[in-house]
Formats: sequence, structure tokens, C-alpha cells
Amino acid sequence: MKELSLHILDIVKNSVKAGATLIGIDIIESVQADELTIVISDNGCGMSKDFLARVRDPFTTTRTTRKVGMGIPLYEAAALQCDGRFDITSEVNVGTTVTAVFGLSHIDRAPLGDMAETMTTLVSGSPEIDFCYTHQTDTNRFVFDTREIRKELGEVPLNLPDVILWIDAFIKEGLTTLALSRGETNK
Amino acid sequence: MKVAELADKLHLECLTKEGDLNLEVTGCYIGDLLSWVMGRAMEGDAWITVMSNVNIIAVATLSNVSCIILAESVTPDPAVLEKADAQGINVLRSTLSSFEIAKQISEVAGL
Repeated sequence: MKELSLHILDIVKNSVKAGATLIGIDIIESVQADELTIVISDNGCGMSKDFLARVRDPFTTTRTTRKVGMGIPLYEAAALQCDGRFDITSEVNVGTTVTAVFGLSHIDRAPLGDMAETMTTLVSGSPEIDFCYTHQTDTNRFVFDTREIRKELGEVPLNLPDVILWIDAFIKEGLTTLALSRGETNK
Repeated sequence: MKVAELADKLHLECLTKEGDLNLEVTGCYIGDLLSWVMGRAMEGDAWITVMSNVNIIAVATLSNVSCIILAESVTPDPAVLEKADAQGINVLRSTLSSFEIAKQISEVAGL
């Protein structure tokens, strides 16, 4: 995929299908370590050891369940092709964590993409699920947590157009501030 | 034109044993971004790529291409040919660039 945020969308959809009520998306951009790390964790139904062993193989996954498809194999390949690493841990009834590490300055690393759009897409599609997105650099950190927003909104659903617009602006502003703090103007 | 004939005319090295060399080559697609190729390569295409991980076999299976042609003498990862044979996918290899291979396919197959 042309942007890493498309992989994030894909992997988070697996968490939604797994019945998660809380999904964490943690992005760590470290210029010092020259690494971009994306950790997606959920409290969904998890996978058995047997399924976990097969889930990275494009064949067993596409053959047995269409819903998983090529998502994980392509995400893993995206990490490995820029000298990265990839790992999945999972426990039944506890949840799943997918960790991908990319060489930050590697020429074959796809750009991160639009995280504000990614998060609003996810919140619009699953307003009942809580999302916690953190974005960290060597010096600063941005946090977007729907649990905090719910405290303010009370019973108001998160997928109302005004709320989505606010979320979009909030994340864009937060990420711009994050980029400025390290002397850059883009992601 | 059949895969076997194409392999012969373009001096392609056939890396697999179990593929069906009688498949008809009806087109050609060049691409290395697998998610992109998945939605665009057509059934019967000869797919030219420099990617060499096992996911290319999965993409070939999904898109029903007639063969994969690895360009510029790319060496596939160890598991690739095993998977290809298990799935009956033709994997061929050329020393030429993607452009040169496509040009020759166009000439010899009249595409």
C-alpha cells in the first residue's frame, strides 16, 4: 500500500471484527533510533496459538477466512522491506498486539499518510469503540483518546458530523504542533 | 501464446516444476506494489515484477495471472518456489529489465 495509514486501517478492522471495545494505536517516530514504530493493540477475542502461527502466511489465511486476507502479510512485507521488524502476540479472550517497526529514513518506507483522516474514518465506522491514538517523537507526545472526549460529550455519539469535524481538526493541529516541535513542517 | 512458448522465445528461465505451462498469456502487467497489483493485474496476464517474497505467489493465485516473470535476475526467497509449486504457479526469470521483457512480450505475442 502506498501509505502506512492504509495498513493501520486494515489491521484495526481486524480488531473491530475481533469484538474489541478498546483499540490502541501507538506511533513512535524516533530520529535518534532511525525507527518508526507502529503498535496496534486491542482487547478483542484474540487468536489461538494455532491460528497465530498461521496468520502471517498469506495462504492459510486467504484460504480459510477471507476476512483476514492479505492484510497481515502485506503489512509485514512493508516493514521488512525497509529493514524493519514485525511481531504479533495474541491471547484468547485477552487481545492482540501487532507491532511493526520501519526504518524511518529507509528509501522504501512508505509515508505514514493522513492520520487525522484515518482516525475519523475509524471513529465514524465504529463510534461505540474506544480508540486511543498516541504519537510520539524524540521530544514530544500527542494523545487522542475517545474516552476523554466521551467524558465531555456524555451521551452524544462520537459519529455526529460536528464531533468528527472537531476530531479531525484536533488531530491535525496536534500533529502539526508535534512536527513543528522538531523543526519540520510535514510528517 | 502459451507460457511455454513465451518462455522459449524470450529465453526465460523456468524456476518452478508444477506450474501449467499451457496457460495462455493474454496480456502483461508490470508492478511491484503488491496491494496495487492485486486489484489491477488481469487473469491471463504475464506479471513482471522485481519483488521476491512469498506474497507474490499469493497475489498470483488471487489474480489468476498466467505466470510471474522475475526481472533483472532477481533471486526469490527460499519459500517462494516451494509455495509456487504447491499452488501450481509458473515462476520464470529473465536477466532483462521489466521494460525490455514487456517490449519483447508485445513483439512475440502480438499484444
